[in-house]
Amino acid sequence: MSNNRVSRRQFLGYTLTGVGGFMAAGMLMPMVRFAVDPILQQHEGGDYVLTDQAVADITEEPVRVDFTFEQTDAWYKSEVTNSAWVYKEGDKLIALSPVCKHLGCTVNWAGDPEHPTQFFCPCHAGRYEKNGQNIPGTPPLGPLDEYQVKEQDGFVAIGAVRDNTLV
Amino acid sequence: MHFIGKEIDQYLSQQDYIDTAVVPLLQLDLSETGMKSSAGASEYLQNLTALLEKQFKGRILLLPPISYGKIANRQRIADELLEELQHTKFKHIFYLTTDSEWRMIDSLKNVLWLPAIPMEDMDQSFKNSVMEDQLRQVLPLFTKEWSHHS
Repeated sequence: MSNNRVSRRQFLGYTLTGVGGFMAAGMLMPMVRFAVDPILQQHEGGDYVLTDQAVADITEEPVRVDFTFEQTDAWYKSEVTNSAWVYKEGDKLIALSPVCKHLGCTVNWAGDPEHPTQFFCPCHAGRYEKNGQNIPGTPPLGPLDEYQVKEQDGFVAIGAVRDNTLV
Repeated sequence: MHFIGKEIDQYLSQQDYIDTAVVPLLQLDLSETGMKSSAGASEYLQNLTALLEKQFKGRILLLPPISYGKIANRQRIADELLEELQHTKFKHIFYLTTDSEWRMIDSLKNVLWLPAIPMEDMDQSFKNSVMEDQLRQVLPLFTKEWSHHS
């Protein structure tokens, strides 16, 4: 008989500690997971969407670039196509949202023959400068929003929308 | 604006600007042979009106499609719609449909009849470009009507 023989009392002690430990871990782990969940959460909309518009073809004249992403509305998932007006200022890419700040119509570049270097909203004749600045006297009360934009493998990638930083 | 709670709030506060109603008219055909083309027409009409709403969000209110059976009395539907719209502040009302019988109803002004294009086999980007083309045919009718009366 060896000297380090485990007594019945010790054996039960170890077993209970071990099992208790597992049970405690089983309860605590999900709690910890819930607590850190917001950090692990992926930010929807923060990702860039790659478009099929080559950066090399972009000039100083704004062109419409469409991009598609998946949107969830309650339980209804759908593919949404949005567009942006993209142009180059020097070497910098600029992408403006086409959503009129008045009531949300879609604005067009040079949509009004009398103002060929402005964005035009066909609904109530709102107008914007090329950098998105709204023209006083027309209905819109703020400048067009801006998209984050970058070049990815030679193509335009469009990111999240933010307030206009050019005006 | 869509006909949903949130946007109706906005509509109610901006009635001077949102002066145009768009009413899709949709014939239901649930017979075994007609169902497919009826569904295709419905898909086409709803896609087109949704795109139209996106373009002119701040000026039009897109109503939900008015659906009726094959034997429906178009004249009666027209009268009921007119009666309902009479009490609103809309200055312009457009009816969009793929059902050719509406062309016979004279009491409705601005009925835009468009032949439905089956879209079930198109992939997303082709569908988008087809719908954009369709939209481009409709847009001038709206801007013309607006510039006429304002």
